[in-house]
Amino acid sequence: MELVSLRNVGFTYAYGDKPALNDVSLTIEPGLLYGVVGLNASGKSTLCSVVRGIIPHFHHGELTGEVKIKGRDLLEWDPAELSKSIGYVFQNPFTQISGVKDTVFEEIALGLENLGVDREEMIDRVTTVVRELGLEALIRKNPNELSGGQRQKVAFASIIAMDADFIIIDEPTSQLDPDASEAVFGIIRKLKERGKSIILVEHKIDLMAEYADRIIVMKAGRVVMEGPAREVLVSDELSQAGVPYPEVTELAFALANAGKPLRSVPITRAEARELVSARIKEAPHAHSAL
Amino acid sequence: MSTPIIDELDQEFIDSFRSPASAGNRIRDLNPISFAVIMVACAVAAVTLPGPWGPAAICLIYVAVSIAAGVSKAFLPAYGKLFAVVGLILFVLRAAFLPGEHVLLRLGPIAISAEGIAQGLDFALVVMALCGAMTLFFTVTPMKNLMLALELRGVTPRATYVILASFQAITDLGKNTKVVMDAQKSRGIETEGGMVGRVTAFVPILAPVFLAAMSQTEERALALDARAFNSRSRHSYLVSLQPVGAAEIALVCAVAACAVLSIVGAAFIWN
Repeated sequence: MELVSLRNVGFTYAYGDKPALNDVSLTIEPGLLYGVVGLNASGKSTLCSVVRGIIPHFHHGELTGEVKIKGRDLLEWDPAELSKSIGYVFQNPFTQISGVKDTVFEEIALGLENLGVDREEMIDRVTTVVRELGLEALIRKNPNELSGGQRQKVAFASIIAMDADFIIIDEPTSQLDPDASEAVFGIIRKLKERGKSIILVEHKIDLMAEYADRIIVMKAGRVVMEGPAREVLVSDELSQAGVPYPEVTELAFALANAGKPLRSVPITRAEARELVSARIKEAPHAHSAL
Repeated sequence: MSTPIIDELDQEFIDSFRSPASAGNRIRDLNPISFAVIMVACAVAAVTLPGPWGPAAICLIYVAVSIAAGVSKAFLPAYGKLFAVVGLILFVLRAAFLPGEHVLLRLGPIAISAEGIAQGLDFALVVMALCGAMTLFFTVTPMKNLMLALELRGVTPRATYVILASFQAITDLGKNTKVVMDAQKSRGIETEGGMVGRVTAFVPILAPVFLAAMSQTEERALALDARAFNSRSRHSYLVSLQPVGAAEIALVCAVAACAVLSIVGAAFIWN
């Protein structure tokens, strides 16, 4: 059964003068990682809010069309039930700290307390997430005194610990350095391997190419393309939406324009390495092969 | 080649959640509700015992309790300031303006009488005993322990969150104000100097600071919702409080009984 389906969905915020979402039709299948890309204000976060039920349960406005989550109309869902079923990591790390816990360890456990998880299980789950995200040095610290990047990791850890089957992650690496971003994506890969369904909003298109099964491209509140990552990341629609291609894809296009196309267009570094290695081996003079 | 430093997991800290939270002091380990009852009983006794010795004794008890609880470094300076400011003002006002037969000193319209001094002392000590109960309670009891104790007695998590978050909001507002003031300073706006200069710099930033705080409140509510805060299932707790033993119950009952006796005394004996 499809996890989420949207049919001709539009949404205008209560005090907005134009729709933030316009005629969006999508199906989210379970067990896949969907990447959402698009320029700022293209409707990515609004789409996530609709899928999570924050719209219309929290943010009011005019919602049109049909939204079904696990086959049930969005309006029939109890918001409290939605919060248990769908994890949501928000974009702004500074407002994701509860402000009422003294240590990072307790902060990560907050969601589990709310779910009524037994103390021993809570400790085990929080400890596991702390290890996975490399937060060992932070567990005694006051969450209100962390940097933006540290808060982002703690907020991410808090949602991961809750172990929802479906997780929406809105720009989890916006405050993180490259190493920390890779670590977060490593966790996302593990979540995917565990069969979680994930919607990930992210500007780092190279990482998206590595991890996403399918990509949703948004522009001005509309979904301009949705499909397998390989198809979308080499498509014209991506650049028309103002989203850059992955670095290696750009390189392949540049080579094609120079009359030396690779055998196929890579979207990940591993693919590019393979294709370029093959080209070098085939070429009699390696330095002129490219 | 350098190897990455992997931080060790602080297992001792994690294991501390497996047993009831302890501050390593019997007074600070009292259940917050028990300690609240004790403090209320002390406040009642301060009001009902004959002054000035009754409330003065209660104030001294606070000092002794704070030393025994190991919080005297925090409590005594705060309490001392209260005495020096609030207590002194109340005493002086009463002593100076309450009429009495035995005038000790006359300064224009002000006549300081023996009765005024006695009543001023009584009143100031009673108020200080009431303030002391509050100050000592919040010095000894961590707010989160109090909220946990209240939740365990049926107060909704939403209510306790609002209280805790309100205290945190005050800290956050202060931090945000400093950030905006620093930003103003970096743009060359004078934020220091005389009182007029400071007020002129401070007033315009109030609106953005408060508006930002309101906007953050909405986002924080959403973040809490993402942590299943509105879940209707019974909440569990990572931290547990020390169990309330027979000795603690006996102590609370004894102190409460003293308060009741002081009320009886005030009603039938010394008033």
